[in-house]
Amino acid sequence: MRVVAFVKQVPAAAELPWDPKTGQLRRWLAPGMMNPACRSALEAALRLKEATGCDLTAVSMGPASAEEVLREALALGADRAFLLNDPLLAGADTPATSYTLACAVKAVCPEFALLFLGTMTTDSETGQVGPHLAEELNLPAVFGVESLELKGRELLVIRERDGYEEELSLPLPALVTIAPRGFPPRHVPLTGVEPAFAQGELVRLSAEDLRVDPERVGMKGSAARIRRVYPQQRRGRAELIQGGPKKAAAELLGRFGERMSGLGGRGLAPQGPRPGEEQS
Amino acid sequence: MELNPCTKHKVVRQAARDFAEGELAPIAAEIDREARFPSEVMAKMRPLGYFGLQAPPEFGGAGLDTISYAIVMEELSRVSAGVGLCLTVHNSVAVYPLTAFGSPEQKKRLLPDLTSGARIGAFCLTEAGAGSDATAVETSAAPVEGGFLLNGAKIFVSNGGVLGLALIFAKVEGQDPRKAASVFLVERERPGLAVGEREDLMGMRCNPVTSLFLEDCRLPAANLLGRVGDGMRIGLATLDTGRLGIAAQAVGIAQAAFEAALKYVKERHQFGKPLAALPTIQNYLAEMKTKIEAGRLLVYRACDLKDRRAPFSGEAAMAKLFCSAAAREVANLAVQIHGGSGYSREYDVERYYREAKVTEIYEGTSEIQKMVIARSLLGAG
Repeated sequence: MRVVAFVKQVPAAAELPWDPKTGQLRRWLAPGMMNPACRSALEAALRLKEATGCDLTAVSMGPASAEEVLREALALGADRAFLLNDPLLAGADTPATSYTLACAVKAVCPEFALLFLGTMTTDSETGQVGPHLAEELNLPAVFGVESLELKGRELLVIRERDGYEEELSLPLPALVTIAPRGFPPRHVPLTGVEPAFAQGELVRLSAEDLRVDPERVGMKGSAARIRRVYPQQRRGRAELIQGGPKKAAAELLGRFGERMSGLGGRGLAPQGPRPGEEQS
Repeated sequence: MELNPCTKHKVVRQAARDFAEGELAPIAAEIDREARFPSEVMAKMRPLGYFGLQAPPEFGGAGLDTISYAIVMEELSRVSAGVGLCLTVHNSVAVYPLTAFGSPEQKKRLLPDLTSGARIGAFCLTEAGAGSDATAVETSAAPVEGGFLLNGAKIFVSNGGVLGLALIFAKVEGQDPRKAASVFLVERERPGLAVGEREDLMGMRCNPVTSLFLEDCRLPAANLLGRVGDGMRIGLATLDTGRLGIAAQAVGIAQAAFEAALKYVKERHQFGKPLAALPTIQNYLAEMKTKIEAGRLLVYRACDLKDRRAPFSGEAAMAKLFCSAAAREVANLAVQIHGGSGYSREYDVERYYREAKVTEIYEGTSEIQKMVIARSLLGAG
């Protein structure tokens, strides 16, 4: 049985540097890291590999630096890795990305049983690539999976929705997106680093290798354009309450006490003097 | 010479940083305050290769190059220098000499336990009357039937309290004093080996630094590392390697202090604007960052020479001399920038300040580094 985990390199920065002209990330300004949800997707795949002995392929689309996250995947235990790297593929929106990933699956692992993706990425947060990819490949899929178990050719999964847990089963081949909560990722073993750089385990594939329709990939194949990205306007304003601890606490509770007590229960009623009373 | 980090080094840094920030950062201040060795975190490091960073894979090691080793030391020490100390001592002055000078039988017998972290290593040179002058060591090894009988006392043994294997520097009796220095492998459970009280130190407080006593400790001949008289050769090579680890540790401490200062100057307002807007503060930041970057390159340069099997003794000493001073200066400025808060245990910079100081002292003081550098320029003279 063969499974594929998709991993994306995202900027390791709290504030993402966007280019206001192109609406694209200026990735070179921040060091990269594996998208946290992708790490959990890889973790889910690794656990399945440990449980069943399945063969695990890691795939990433991105610039040359995305090799880092694929080497990380190899160090963690992936059997091989493919980097989809071509200027023609750059600037893709989510349907163009999903189409490219679908072509990659057909090219490198057509006999797959299960595809693993993260629920979303920290640099775009659309959560669309998993669902799109399932459509492209016409697969049964569940999104936001928190636990999974394989029973023969049937996959049993649990996901949480609106405070309820849903147990679902789906036939293979299938696709799942993994919620980080259910699969906290393991640490990268340093003992895995040298083997991860052994030659031949990471293959770079161009648009031509993938036999993509050039009209459907990259900027050219993308209908969506990000016009502008800007920080949210802060509507709230900070205010410093003056005075000693008792006076300040009383002042705060005087303003918000009624609203807070409904949430906080006991102990929120002012113990000291009431607002407006004299303070020493 | 490649000056940009290669993909492998980026992967190593990311792995070590993730581990340090995920597992060590939440407890770094606490283990310093309580002088507690974080056994639970060390247990998590064991299967990940941290205890055999450069040891050959056939003995359970990660087989990494020396720059990778330095990067790991930097990243661990950026978060907890005391844990960094445990790992640099273990890797560079216990695993390294056993790998480089051990017999095939010794490696097979002892290395797997070291690389798995089942035994934590320590190198024991310093005595009450001997430190930088290794020729003054008084610990003795008397040749007896089938081996040696060791007697003596060692002080300031990093990892002493969690010791699994000690490399003891001793003089073999009955030899020409110039050819007597030798190194012995002493397992913790050997009768006659006793671990003393934990030292109450200024920094690196989570590391159980102790004294060590040898009283008629009988060792088989198979526990002599190299040959009788190899002590100086092994000791010098080991300390050269150890200095790279300490220099990298100093870079990590300086980096932590710099990052704390950078964060603080953006948040703290005085005179109606953030501290970062003040030219004096900007000068401090520029000085700090420049020293860190220069130091880091010195470390990687010396590591690269070692990997190329070129002489690196002078370069390692330069790296340690420069980086340890830089760490102290950067940590000092970080405290200064924090003002009164920097003198409080509420902020990490006071810990960095305490941790930085010892990098100018252990594994050869700065004064000794200058002697080593001069020797590399002028010959042994």
